[in-house]
Amino acid sequence: MNTILSDQSLIYLQIAQMLEDGILHGDWAEGAQVPSTNELARTLRINPATAAKGINQLVDDGILYKRRGIGMFVAEGAAARICAKRRAAFYDQFVRPLAAEARSLDLTREETEALLAKAFTEKKEG
Amino acid sequence: MEQKALCANNVRKQYKEKLALDGVSVTLEPGHIYGLIGRNGAGKTTLLAALTAQIPVTSGEVAYGGEPVWENEKALADLCFSREIGARADSGEAALKVKDYLRMGRLFYPHWDEEYAQALIKQFGLDVKQKIGRLSKGMQSMLTIVLALASRAPVTLLDEPVAGLDVVAREDFYRLLLDDHMATGRTFVISTHILEEGAAIFERVLILKEGKLIEDTPTDDLLARFCAVSGPAAAVEAACEGFPVLHREALGSHASFVVRAPAADITARGQAVELNALSLQKVFVALCGHEQEGQA
Repeated sequence: MNTILSDQSLIYLQIAQMLEDGILHGDWAEGAQVPSTNELARTLRINPATAAKGINQLVDDGILYKRRGIGMFVAEGAAARICAKRRAAFYDQFVRPLAAEARSLDLTREETEALLAKAFTEKKEG
Repeated sequence: MEQKALCANNVRKQYKEKLALDGVSVTLEPGHIYGLIGRNGAGKTTLLAALTAQIPVTSGEVAYGGEPVWENEKALADLCFSREIGARADSGEAALKVKDYLRMGRLFYPHWDEEYAQALIKQFGLDVKQKIGRLSKGMQSMLTIVLALASRAPVTLLDEPVAGLDVVAREDFYRLLLDDHMATGRTFVISTHILEEGAAIFERVLILKEGKLIEDTPTDDLLARFCAVSGPAAAVEAACEGFPVLHREALGSHASFVVRAPAADITARGQAVELNALSLQKVFVALCGHEQEGQA
Protein backbone atom coordinates (compact mmCIF):
# COMPACT_ATOMS: atom_id res chain seq x y z
CA MET A 1 0.00 0.00 0.00
CA ASN A 2 1.34 3.38 -0.98
CA THR A 3 0.91 5.69 1.99
CA ILE A 4 2.43 8.84 0.58
CA LEU A 5 -0.23 11.46 -0.01
CA SER A 6 0.12 13.94 -2.82
CA ASP A 7 -1.77 17.16 -3.39
CA GLN A 8 -2.69 16.09 -6.91
CA SER A 9 -6.11 14.87 -5.86
CA LEU A 10 -8.48 15.22 -2.94
CA ILE A 11 -7.27 13.43 0.15
CA TYR A 12 -10.41 11.41 0.79
CA LEU A 13 -10.21 10.07 -2.77
CA GLN A 14 -6.59 9.09 -2.15
CA ILE A 15 -7.65 7.26 1.02
CA ALA A 16 -10.29 5.34 -0.94
CA GLN A 17 -7.80 4.53 -3.68
CA MET A 18 -5.16 3.45 -1.18
CA LEU A 19 -7.55 0.99 0.47
CA GLU A 20 -8.73 -0.27 -2.94
CA ASP A 21 -5.10 -0.87 -3.96
CA GLY A 22 -4.53 -2.82 -0.75
CA ILE A 23 -7.60 -4.99 -1.35
CA LEU A 24 -6.69 -5.56 -4.99
CA HIS A 25 -3.13 -6.59 -4.07
CA GLY A 26 -4.33 -8.90 -1.32
CA ASP A 27 -3.16 -6.83 1.69
CA TRP A 28 -6.69 -7.31 3.04
CA ALA A 29 -8.61 -10.40 2.01
CA GLU A 30 -12.38 -10.53 1.81
CA GLY A 31 -13.78 -10.47 5.31
CA ALA A 32 -10.60 -8.92 6.75
CA GLN A 33 -10.72 -5.81 8.92
CA VAL A 34 -9.21 -2.66 7.40
CA PRO A 35 -7.54 0.11 9.46
CA SER A 36 -9.90 2.31 11.45
CA THR A 37 -10.53 5.97 10.78
CA ASN A 38 -8.34 6.90 13.74
CA GLU A 39 -5.51 4.61 12.65
CA LEU A 40 -5.55 6.11 9.17
CA ALA A 41 -5.73 9.64 10.58
CA ARG A 42 -2.81 9.06 12.93
CA THR A 43 -0.60 7.25 10.45
CA LEU A 44 -1.22 9.58 7.51
CA ARG A 45 -1.56 12.73 9.61
CA ILE A 46 -4.97 13.66 8.24
CA ASN A 47 -8.20 14.83 9.78
CA PRO A 48 -10.23 11.82 10.98
CA ALA A 49 -13.31 13.24 9.24
CA THR A 50 -11.42 13.08 5.93
CA ALA A 51 -10.37 9.48 6.58
CA ALA A 52 -13.98 8.64 7.41
CA LYS A 53 -15.12 10.24 4.15
CA GLY A 54 -12.77 8.00 2.15
CA ILE A 55 -13.94 4.91 4.02
CA ASN A 56 -17.59 5.86 3.59
CA GLN A 57 -17.15 6.16 -0.14
CA LEU A 58 -16.02 2.52 -0.20
CA VAL A 59 -19.01 1.56 1.94
CA ASP A 60 -21.28 3.28 -0.61
CA ASP A 61 -19.51 1.38 -3.41
CA GLY A 62 -20.07 -1.93 -1.61
CA ILE A 63 -16.32 -2.50 -1.12
CA LEU A 64 -16.39 -2.25 2.67
CA TYR A 65 -19.08 -2.90 5.22
CA LYS A 66 -19.46 -1.78 8.80
CA ARG A 67 -19.79 -4.06 11.79
CA ARG A 68 -21.20 -1.84 14.46
CA GLY A 69 -18.86 -1.31 17.36
CA ILE A 70 -16.12 -3.43 15.78
CA GLY A 71 -14.92 -1.77 12.62
CA MET A 72 -14.80 -1.84 8.84
CA PHE A 73 -14.41 -5.06 6.86
CA VAL A 74 -13.80 -6.03 3.25
CA ALA A 75 -17.04 -7.09 1.59
CA GLU A 76 -17.48 -10.34 -0.31
CA GLY A 77 -16.60 -9.86 -3.99
CA ALA A 78 -14.84 -6.54 -3.22
CA ALA A 79 -11.68 -7.34 -5.20
CA ALA A 80 -13.72 -8.40 -8.25
CA ARG A 81 -15.79 -5.22 -8.04
CA ILE A 82 -12.68 -3.02 -7.84
CA CYS A 83 -11.17 -4.97 -10.71
CA ALA A 84 -14.26 -4.46 -12.91
CA LYS A 85 -14.37 -0.73 -12.12
CA ARG A 86 -10.70 -0.25 -12.91
CA ARG A 87 -10.90 -2.29 -16.12
CA ALA A 88 -13.61 0.08 -17.30
CA ALA A 89 -11.22 2.99 -16.73
CA PHE A 90 -8.10 1.22 -17.98
CA TYR A 91 -8.38 2.32 -21.62
CA ASP A 92 -8.78 6.04 -20.87
CA GLN A 93 -6.41 6.11 -17.95
CA PHE A 94 -3.52 4.02 -19.25
CA VAL A 95 -3.86 2.91 -22.88
CA ARG A 96 -4.68 6.22 -24.50
CA PRO A 97 -1.88 8.12 -22.72
CA LEU A 98 0.50 5.29 -23.67
CA ALA A 99 -0.45 5.58 -27.35
CA ALA A 100 -0.18 9.38 -27.21
CA GLU A 101 3.30 9.26 -25.66
CA ALA A 102 4.39 6.58 -28.15
CA ARG A 103 3.23 8.78 -31.05
CA SER A 104 5.10 11.79 -29.71
CA LEU A 105 8.25 9.65 -29.51
CA ASP A 106 7.76 8.43 -33.10
CA LEU A 107 7.41 4.86 -31.91
CA THR A 108 5.43 2.80 -34.41
CA ARG A 109 2.46 0.70 -33.41
CA GLU A 110 4.55 -2.44 -33.96
CA GLU A 111 7.41 -1.15 -31.81
CA THR A 112 4.99 -0.18 -29.06
CA GLU A 113 3.25 -3.55 -29.16
CA ALA A 114 6.66 -5.27 -28.96
CA LEU A 115 7.50 -3.27 -25.84
CA LEU A 116 4.16 -4.15 -24.34
CA ALA A 117 4.76 -7.85 -25.09
CA LYS A 118 8.19 -7.57 -23.44
CA ALA A 119 6.71 -5.98 -20.32
CA PHE A 120 4.28 -8.89 -20.04
CA THR A 121 7.15 -11.41 -20.00
CA GLU A 122 8.97 -9.64 -17.16
CA LYS A 123 8.52 -10.85 -13.64
CA LYS A 124 5.55 -9.49 -11.80
CA GLU A 125 6.78 -6.70 -9.59
CA GLY A 126 6.17 -7.01 -5.89
CA MET B 1 -17.07 17.11 27.56
CA GLU B 2 -19.84 19.61 27.08
CA GLN B 3 -20.00 20.64 23.46
CA LYS B 4 -21.14 24.11 22.53
CA ALA B 5 -20.83 26.21 19.41
CA LEU B 6 -18.90 29.49 19.39
CA CYS B 7 -20.58 32.06 17.14
CA ALA B 8 -19.65 35.46 15.82
CA ASN B 9 -22.61 37.41 14.54
CA ASN B 10 -21.89 40.30 12.19
CA VAL B 11 -18.79 41.33 14.13
CA ARG B 12 -17.11 44.60 13.23
CA LYS B 13 -13.89 45.89 14.75
CA GLN B 14 -12.79 49.40 13.99
CA TYR B 15 -9.32 50.52 14.99
CA LYS B 16 -8.48 54.20 14.63
CA GLU B 17 -7.63 54.12 10.96
CA LYS B 18 -8.60 50.65 9.98
CA LEU B 19 -11.69 48.47 9.81
CA ALA B 20 -10.06 45.21 10.92
CA LEU B 21 -13.22 43.07 10.87
CA ASP B 22 -15.99 43.97 8.48
CA GLY B 23 -19.16 42.16 9.45
CA VAL B 24 -17.82 38.66 10.16
CA SER B 25 -20.33 35.94 10.94
CA VAL B 26 -19.11 32.44 11.64
CA THR B 27 -20.19 29.44 13.70
CA LEU B 28 -17.54 27.13 15.10
CA GLU B 29 -19.32 23.84 15.56
CA PRO B 30 -18.01 21.55 18.30
CA GLY B 31 -15.64 18.73 17.42
CA HIS B 32 -13.99 20.10 14.30
CA ILE B 33 -10.56 21.40 13.33
CA TYR B 34 -10.79 24.68 11.46
CA GLY B 35 -8.06 26.40 9.51
CA LEU B 36 -8.21 30.20 9.57
CA ILE B 37 -6.19 31.52 6.68
CA GLY B 38 -5.52 34.95 5.31
CA ARG B 39 -2.68 37.21 4.36
CA ASN B 40 -0.85 39.34 6.91
CA GLY B 41 -3.21 42.08 8.06
CA ALA B 42 -6.35 40.27 6.90
CA GLY B 43 -7.72 40.27 10.47
CA LYS B 44 -6.93 36.73 11.66
CA THR B 45 -5.56 37.70 15.09
CA THR B 46 -8.29 40.30 15.59
CA LEU B 47 -10.98 37.70 14.86
CA LEU B 48 -9.46 35.19 17.29
CA ALA B 49 -9.16 37.88 19.98
CA ALA B 50 -12.77 38.96 19.39
CA LEU B 51 -14.04 35.37 19.57
CA THR B 52 -12.44 34.97 23.00
CA ALA B 53 -13.46 38.40 24.35
CA GLN B 54 -9.87 39.60 24.61
CA ILE B 55 -10.82 42.77 22.76
CA PRO B 56 -14.17 44.56 22.68
CA VAL B 57 -15.91 44.54 19.31
CA THR B 58 -17.24 47.72 17.73
CA SER B 59 -20.54 46.11 16.85
CA GLY B 60 -22.05 42.65 16.51
CA GLU B 61 -21.78 39.92 19.11
CA VAL B 62 -19.92 36.78 20.04
CA ALA B 63 -21.78 33.98 21.82
CA TYR B 64 -20.80 30.61 23.24
CA GLY B 65 -23.63 28.11 23.59
CA GLY B 66 -26.00 31.02 22.97
CA GLU B 67 -24.57 33.17 25.82
CA PRO B 68 -22.56 36.34 25.11
CA VAL B 69 -18.89 35.75 25.93
CA TRP B 70 -18.01 39.29 27.02
CA GLU B 71 -17.25 39.30 30.79
CA ASN B 72 -18.84 35.85 30.96
CA GLU B 73 -16.59 33.86 33.25
CA LYS B 74 -18.37 30.58 32.57
CA ALA B 75 -18.00 30.88 28.81
CA LEU B 76 -14.40 32.09 29.01
CA ALA B 77 -13.47 29.06 31.11
CA ASP B 78 -14.10 26.93 28.04
CA LEU B 79 -12.18 29.11 25.58
CA CYS B 80 -8.43 29.32 25.08
CA PHE B 81 -6.70 31.78 22.80
CA SER B 82 -2.99 31.04 22.57
CA ARG B 83 -1.38 34.11 21.10
CA GLU B 84 1.73 34.27 19.02
CA ILE B 85 4.58 35.36 21.32
CA GLY B 86 7.03 36.65 18.74
CA ALA B 87 4.68 39.40 17.64
CA ARG B 88 4.99 41.06 21.02
CA ALA B 89 8.63 40.42 21.84
CA ASP B 90 9.16 43.84 23.40
CA SER B 91 6.18 43.48 25.74
CA GLY B 92 6.52 42.40 29.36
CA GLU B 93 6.23 38.84 28.19
CA ALA B 94 9.81 38.62 26.93
CA ALA B 95 11.14 38.95 30.47
CA LEU B 96 8.95 36.13 31.77
CA LYS B 97 10.39 32.70 32.26
CA VAL B 98 8.81 29.73 30.50
CA LYS B 99 7.56 28.33 33.81
CA ASP B 100 5.92 31.67 34.71
CA TYR B 101 4.13 31.73 31.37
CA LEU B 102 2.83 28.23 32.00
CA ARG B 103 1.84 29.16 35.55
CA MET B 104 -0.46 31.80 34.02
CA GLY B 105 -2.03 29.02 31.96
CA ARG B 106 -2.55 26.98 35.10
CA LEU B 107 -4.29 29.93 36.78
CA PHE B 108 -6.26 30.99 33.73
CA TYR B 109 -7.66 27.76 32.39
CA PRO B 110 -9.80 25.66 34.73
CA HIS B 111 -9.43 22.58 32.49
CA TRP B 112 -5.60 22.85 32.66
CA ASP B 113 -3.79 19.48 32.50
CA GLU B 114 -0.43 19.84 34.26
CA GLU B 115 0.68 16.29 33.50
CA TYR B 116 0.08 16.84 29.79
CA ALA B 117 1.92 20.18 29.97
CA GLN B 118 4.95 18.52 31.58
CA ALA B 119 4.97 15.72 28.99
CA LEU B 120 4.87 18.26 26.14
CA ILE B 121 7.66 20.38 27.69
CA LYS B 122 9.81 17.28 27.90
CA GLN B 123 8.97 16.20 24.37
CA PHE B 124 9.80 19.64 22.94
CA GLY B 125 12.92 20.04 25.07
CA LEU B 126 11.74 23.40 26.46
CA ASP B 127 13.91 24.87 29.22
CA VAL B 128 11.42 26.09 31.83
CA LYS B 129 13.99 28.41 33.46
CA GLN B 130 14.76 30.24 30.23
CA LYS B 131 13.39 33.74 29.62
CA ILE B 132 10.84 33.82 26.80
CA GLY B 133 12.66 36.63 25.02
CA ARG B 134 15.76 34.44 24.76
CA LEU B 135 13.97 31.49 23.21
CA SER B 136 14.34 30.81 19.50
CA LYS B 137 11.31 31.55 17.34
CA GLY B 138 10.63 27.83 17.08
CA MET B 139 10.75 27.35 20.87
CA GLN B 140 8.42 30.33 21.33
CA SER B 141 5.96 28.66 18.95
CA MET B 142 6.25 25.44 20.92
CA LEU B 143 5.51 27.27 24.15
CA THR B 144 2.26 28.64 22.67
CA ILE B 145 1.42 25.09 21.56
CA VAL B 146 2.02 23.70 25.07
CA LEU B 147 -0.24 26.40 26.51
CA ALA B 148 -2.98 25.67 23.97
CA LEU B 149 -2.94 21.89 24.23
CA ALA B 150 -2.53 21.72 28.02
CA SER B 151 -5.36 24.25 28.53
CA ARG B 152 -7.70 21.37 27.57
CA ALA B 153 -10.21 24.10 26.72
CA PRO B 154 -13.14 22.67 24.74
CA VAL B 155 -12.61 25.43 22.16
CA THR B 156 -8.95 26.22 21.57
CA LEU B 157 -7.72 28.90 19.19
CA LEU B 158 -4.07 28.98 18.14
CA ASP B 159 -2.64 32.05 16.44
CA GLU B 160 0.10 31.11 13.97
CA PRO B 161 1.32 28.13 16.02
CA VAL B 162 3.55 26.83 13.24
CA ALA B 163 5.06 30.15 12.12
CA GLY B 164 8.42 29.47 13.77
CA LEU B 165 8.52 25.72 13.16
CA ASP B 166 10.42 23.85 10.49
CA VAL B 167 8.67 21.18 8.46
CA VAL B 168 9.63 18.33 10.83
CA ALA B 169 8.36 20.20 13.89
CA ARG B 170 5.18 21.15 12.01
CA GLU B 171 4.47 17.51 11.29
CA ASP B 172 5.08 16.65 14.97
CA PHE B 173 2.72 19.41 16.05
CA TYR B 174 -0.07 18.30 13.71
CA ARG B 175 0.33 14.71 14.89
CA LEU B 176 -0.05 15.85 18.52
CA LEU B 177 -3.04 17.97 17.56
CA LEU B 178 -4.77 15.09 15.78
CA ASP B 179 -4.06 12.68 18.64
CA ASP B 180 -5.56 15.11 21.15
CA HIS B 181 -8.50 15.93 18.87
CA MET B 182 -9.27 12.23 18.39
CA ALA B 183 -8.98 11.52 22.10
CA THR B 184 -11.05 14.46 23.32
CA GLY B 185 -13.15 15.82 20.43
CA ARG B 186 -11.98 19.36 21.26
CA THR B 187 -12.61 22.09 18.72
CA PHE B 188 -9.50 23.74 17.32
CA VAL B 189 -8.99 26.81 15.19
CA ILE B 190 -5.52 27.15 13.72
CA SER B 191 -4.61 30.41 12.08
CA THR B 192 -1.77 30.08 9.62
CA HIS B 193 -0.41 31.11 6.29
CA ILE B 194 1.70 27.95 5.99
CA LEU B 195 -0.65 25.61 4.18
CA GLU B 196 1.47 22.64 3.12
CA GLU B 197 0.07 20.28 5.76
CA GLY B 198 -3.11 22.24 6.35
CA ALA B 199 -5.35 20.72 3.69
CA ALA B 200 -5.00 17.32 5.34
CA ILE B 201 -5.59 18.63 8.86
CA PHE B 202 -8.36 21.21 8.47
CA GLU B 203 -11.82 19.81 8.02
CA ARG B 204 -13.07 23.26 7.23
CA VAL B 205 -11.33 26.36 5.98
CA LEU B 206 -12.14 29.95 6.91
CA ILE B 207 -10.56 32.54 4.63
CA LEU B 208 -10.31 36.16 5.71
CA LYS B 209 -9.58 38.84 3.18
CA GLU B 210 -9.37 42.49 4.22
CA GLY B 211 -11.53 41.91 7.28
CA LYS B 212 -14.21 39.95 5.44
CA LEU B 213 -14.82 36.23 5.70
CA ILE B 214 -14.81 35.17 2.06
CA GLU B 215 -14.90 31.39 2.58
CA ASP B 216 -16.29 29.12 5.29
CA THR B 217 -16.21 25.81 3.47
CA PRO B 218 -15.28 22.15 3.95
CA THR B 219 -11.70 21.85 2.68
CA ASP B 220 -12.54 19.15 0.14
CA ASP B 221 -15.44 21.15 -1.30
CA LEU B 222 -13.27 24.24 -1.62
CA LEU B 223 -10.51 22.34 -3.43
CA ALA B 224 -13.04 20.61 -5.71
CA ARG B 225 -14.21 23.98 -7.04
CA PHE B 226 -10.89 24.60 -8.76
CA CYS B 227 -8.57 22.76 -11.08
CA ALA B 228 -5.37 23.23 -13.00
CA VAL B 229 -5.69 22.63 -16.73
CA SER B 230 -2.65 22.22 -18.93
CA GLY B 231 -1.87 21.15 -22.46
CA PRO B 232 -1.71 22.70 -25.94
CA ALA B 233 -2.76 26.35 -25.60
CA ALA B 234 -5.71 26.08 -28.00
CA ALA B 235 -7.09 23.01 -26.22
CA VAL B 236 -6.68 24.65 -22.81
CA GLU B 237 -8.48 27.79 -24.06
CA ALA B 238 -11.33 25.69 -25.43
CA ALA B 239 -11.59 23.57 -22.28
CA CYS B 240 -11.73 26.62 -19.98
CA GLU B 241 -13.86 28.95 -22.10
CA GLY B 242 -16.58 30.65 -20.10
CA PHE B 243 -15.11 29.70 -16.70
CA PRO B 244 -13.27 32.26 -14.55
CA VAL B 245 -9.55 31.82 -15.16
CA LEU B 246 -7.63 32.95 -12.07
CA HIS B 247 -4.13 32.42 -13.32
CA ARG B 248 -2.53 31.84 -16.71
CA GLU B 249 0.91 30.60 -17.61
CA ALA B 250 2.16 30.07 -21.11
CA LEU B 251 5.32 28.33 -22.23
CA GLY B 252 5.61 28.26 -26.01
CA SER B 253 2.48 26.64 -27.38
CA HIS B 254 1.79 25.00 -24.01
CA ALA B 255 -0.53 26.64 -21.50
CA SER B 256 -1.51 26.06 -17.86
CA PHE B 257 -4.60 27.71 -16.39
CA VAL B 258 -5.98 27.76 -12.88
CA VAL B 259 -9.70 27.81 -13.38
CA ARG B 260 -12.69 28.07 -11.08
CA ALA B 261 -14.60 25.06 -12.36
CA PRO B 262 -15.07 21.49 -11.17
CA ALA B 263 -12.82 19.01 -13.01
CA ALA B 264 -15.88 17.17 -14.36
CA ASP B 265 -17.03 20.32 -16.21
CA ILE B 266 -13.63 20.68 -17.89
CA THR B 267 -13.50 16.98 -18.79
CA ALA B 268 -16.95 17.30 -20.36
CA ARG B 269 -15.48 19.66 -22.98
CA GLY B 270 -13.62 16.67 -24.41
CA GLN B 271 -10.34 18.51 -25.00
CA ALA B 272 -6.95 16.78 -24.88
CA VAL B 273 -5.82 18.51 -21.68
CA GLU B 274 -4.32 17.34 -18.42
CA LEU B 275 -6.27 18.07 -15.25
CA ASN B 276 -4.88 18.35 -11.75
CA ALA B 277 -6.36 19.25 -8.39
CA LEU B 278 -4.97 22.38 -6.75
CA SER B 279 -3.26 22.41 -3.39
CA LEU B 280 -4.87 24.52 -0.68
CA GLN B 281 -1.94 26.88 -1.00
CA LYS B 282 -2.64 27.44 -4.70
CA VAL B 283 -6.34 27.98 -4.03
CA PHE B 284 -5.45 30.50 -1.35
CA VAL B 285 -3.13 32.37 -3.71
CA ALA B 286 -5.81 32.31 -6.41
CA LEU B 287 -8.38 33.80 -4.01
CA CYS B 288 -6.20 36.25 -2.09
CA GLY B 289 -3.09 36.80 -4.17
CA HIS B 290 -4.12 39.51 -6.59
CA GLU B 291 -3.49 42.55 -4.47
CA GLN B 292 -0.73 44.93 -3.57
CA GLU B 293 1.98 43.54 -1.33
CA GLY B 294 2.97 45.13 1.93
CA GLN B 295 -0.16 45.85 3.91
CA ALA B 296 0.75 45.11 7.48
